[in-house]
Amino acid sequence: MSYIHFPVIAVMTLFMGAFLTVVFGRKSKAVRNILALAASCTAFVLICCLIKPVLIDGEIISYWMGNWSPVEGYAIGIGYEIDQLSMFFALITVFTVLMSCIYSIRYMERDSALDFYNVLFLMLSGSVLGLVLTGDVFNMFIMIEIMTFTSVGLAAFRNNKAGSVEAGFKYLVIGSIGSSMTLFGVAILYGNCHTLNMAQLSSILAGRLTPSTLMAFALMFTGLAVKSYIVPFHTPAADAYTTAPASISMVFSGMVNKAGVYGMIRLVYIIFRAMDKSSVQLLMVIFGVVTMFVGVTMALAQHDFKRLLAFHSISQIGYVITAAGLGSALGLTAGLFHAMNHTLFKGLLFLCAGAVYYAAGTTNLDKLGGLSKKMPKTCICFLIGAFSISGLPPFNGFASKWLVYQAVYEKAVTSGNIFYAFATVAAVVVSVMTLASFIKVTQAVFFGQLPASLENVQEVPALMRLPMWIMSALCVLTGVFYDQVNKWLLAPAAGAALNVSGYIDRMMGEGYAAEAGVVNIPVFAARFSFWNPVVWLLLFIIVLAAFCLAIIGSSGDRASISSAPADAEDGKYATFFSGEKSMPSHVSGSDLFWGFKKNWKGYFKVMDGIHSGRVNDYALYVVCAAALITVFVFGFVR
Amino acid sequence: MEYLKILFNILVFPGCLFVGAMGLLLSGIDRKVLARMQKRVGPPIIQPLYDFLKLLGKETIVPKAANRKVFLGAPVVGFAALVVTAALIPVLGYRAFEGSADLIVLLYLLTIPAVALIIGGSSSGNPYAGIGISREMVTMMSYELPLICIFLAVAKKVGGSTLCFSLSQIAAYQQANGSLIGCVSLIPAAAAMLLVIPAEVGTQPFDVAEAETEILEGPLIEYSGAPLAVFKLNTSMKMYIMTALFSALFLGGLATGVTALDVLIQVLLCIALTLICMTTIHAVTARLKIEHLFKFYWTVVAGLAALSLVLVWLGF
Repeated sequence: MSYIHFPVIAVMTLFMGAFLTVVFGRKSKAVRNILALAASCTAFVLICCLIKPVLIDGEIISYWMGNWSPVEGYAIGIGYEIDQLSMFFALITVFTVLMSCIYSIRYMERDSALDFYNVLFLMLSGSVLGLVLTGDVFNMFIMIEIMTFTSVGLAAFRNNKAGSVEAGFKYLVIGSIGSSMTLFGVAILYGNCHTLNMAQLSSILAGRLTPSTLMAFALMFTGLAVKSYIVPFHTPAADAYTTAPASISMVFSGMVNKAGVYGMIRLVYIIFRAMDKSSVQLLMVIFGVVTMFVGVTMALAQHDFKRLLAFHSISQIGYVITAAGLGSALGLTAGLFHAMNHTLFKGLLFLCAGAVYYAAGTTNLDKLGGLSKKMPKTCICFLIGAFSISGLPPFNGFASKWLVYQAVYEKAVTSGNIFYAFATVAAVVVSVMTLASFIKVTQAVFFGQLPASLENVQEVPALMRLPMWIMSALCVLTGVFYDQVNKWLLAPAAGAALNVSGYIDRMMGEGYAAEAGVVNIPVFAARFSFWNPVVWLLLFIIVLAAFCLAIIGSSGDRASISSAPADAEDGKYATFFSGEKSMPSHVSGSDLFWGFKKNWKGYFKVMDGIHSGRVNDYALYVVCAAALITVFVFGFVR
Repeated sequence: MEYLKILFNILVFPGCLFVGAMGLLLSGIDRKVLARMQKRVGPPIIQPLYDFLKLLGKETIVPKAANRKVFLGAPVVGFAALVVTAALIPVLGYRAFEGSADLIVLLYLLTIPAVALIIGGSSSGNPYAGIGISREMVTMMSYELPLICIFLAVAKKVGGSTLCFSLSQIAAYQQANGSLIGCVSLIPAAAAMLLVIPAEVGTQPFDVAEAETEILEGPLIEYSGAPLAVFKLNTSMKMYIMTALFSALFLGGLATGVTALDVLIQVLLCIALTLICMTTIHAVTARLKIEHLFKFYWTVVAGLAALSLVLVWLGF
């Protein structure tokens, strides 16, 4: 069959695009854009061609590079293996790449050295795609390395702006610590099992948790956790997302940290098959809850649009880790759904932030305001993204968060552990705080008062709005038709993670898994409680229609809607502004929640101290957390 | 016939007309009884209806600084969301749209009207509205924590060791085992819920977001005419929705099975709950500051709800 070559060609296309841009990209703008667009479109189409065989027919594709297939039961060559889980993340990746590529054509036009930008961007895309498609841990490590170093370059790309080089440096240091830990873990595994193939590792490690493999587990877990920026490894993410161009921030939060999440899921579900152990579940859920809480509270304290979004990115990954860490089919489904939705709505929000930067030249919340009249289309996209991330029905963020709550509370009642009940409470409270923080952005950027300096702001070009519209539409569609999404995307992906033997057999030959004693975790279809967005939406539309009919019916001659001039010298409307011509708003955007912050003074003081901005401190947190994880793993994982 | 029934459900009972009428009735009773408590004569009970009709006839003014579509659209979205939410809450035994929403969904549907108010106020561009929406949002953060604890406690009590967020299961459980308010472990949760209702509706002492005497009705400051009428109606409808939710959660055992009787009981229950948790508290307290409100909900009320959750978990 020909399609088995598609995955590797997709990865190669992106890397080739990078190479060709180096050679020809300096020539002209058109060549650069065509190369980048062609590479991302090709990758997108190739991966989409795999939807039918992998997701619909349920086939697992394996591909041995150079046809180095296993010899005497030992995998020597590098193998790609695309099961439904890889496919799910590959789809997220190529979609993000395409959207970012379209957006960056206009968005980046005012920057210089764009050939370097395109090279780094395509290499980053290729590495993430390679990471999710590979079936080899060392190959995965290589892709992580490429991903980290291209990310460093992109985070520091606008090096004329304050803080970008610093952000790149922090990313470099923390990222390298994470990569080294992953490499160390991989080395230990290789020494133990004499193979680097994930499928074979999985069958060899079945029930064999010796101290050295536990060490490898702890190190790889930490290494991949650093790549998914969960607390306390989140510190470089906040800076990098802020300083990188918006099209790259979108890629960072849309697929780079998803790659880390994918790695963690692959590690705990497939390589070590540790998710039936309650200690590993607890480890993941604790990290998840802490991440979502710290992320959102830090976001409430931010003054910069993109930095705020960065902290929300961290917070939402907390949901994904919490849900995926439950080890149940419902939990994994919820986690994957939220990961996908996060790509959609956070990507959309970053693109909106980029549009605001493009139009107004700043992302400082205290200097913006009233842009909804100048940029109405961006405002609508932003509101859709904001409602999605805050989990308002019927947008997609609600559907996935709702699944997360159910999964966590199901865990609580079936295991009888009250910790999970409080985890549910924390998840809901975090969701409300997310809403609060987006209300703040809405008020500070799009509503409120328009500063005089922004009088001449224009709506962004249509080519930039196109990806925003596509993502907005998907935010609504995946929220309303979430059971279809579950049927075609999530259920196969979650099933693949829980049915390891199919994965092993495809790679190593029929019957290999059974011989090694691999038992599948029984999958029962994720059970949904009641939420029927279609019915709700229909009812909503009926009420809206009835209301509008009533308005039209009763309007007659008196429904004159007039507009009061905001600063006219007309005594009639003066009362609406307390008689003052122009009154400054003394509540600036970023301080909207002092009623809340006042009560949490102590907490915010501690948090300010922790986020000191010194890379030494940050590296220390990583090392301490790694030590803690190691102690936990040795102490409790049996 | 099926479609006619749905239309009836959504437009007459338990949707639009019923909720609107109940809301206006409850706020009328609230105002009358409050006045009597303060030794005033008070307005007639249908005064809210008069107010509503009068506002509908007034001129609508849109400030120049406002985003016109959002400014005029927000009250309508809030209204529609409230009506649909009301239709999803069972009226004791009578359930119109079974199986289309559960407790968690309700928790989120209830935030839509608040968000509509916030977005509407925010779009007006007025600084007082800015302060108002900030307070509305903090109020929301305050009561959401106890509310989720209450819901989880109820879910655990009803479901045992299975996941149960379904309103119909909660109703069925109560019809079989008596109202949940009879359980010792859920009494703190019921008390917490009684305290959540006034904050959700925004009555004194928790009306910090509107605070007429201080920030001139906050988010509503620029509203006039029909949009203002709709927002006022929304507030009244919330009184019904929250009291109905309380009776669905804790007093479901009172259902008789006869729809007409159930509706009558529901109406009486709503009136009683309004008098207990809104009118009485309003009459004896003064408005809180926003930081005190937040502290009160995250300590006292959330404490009660969490106590209930722990008690349920321990099997009481």
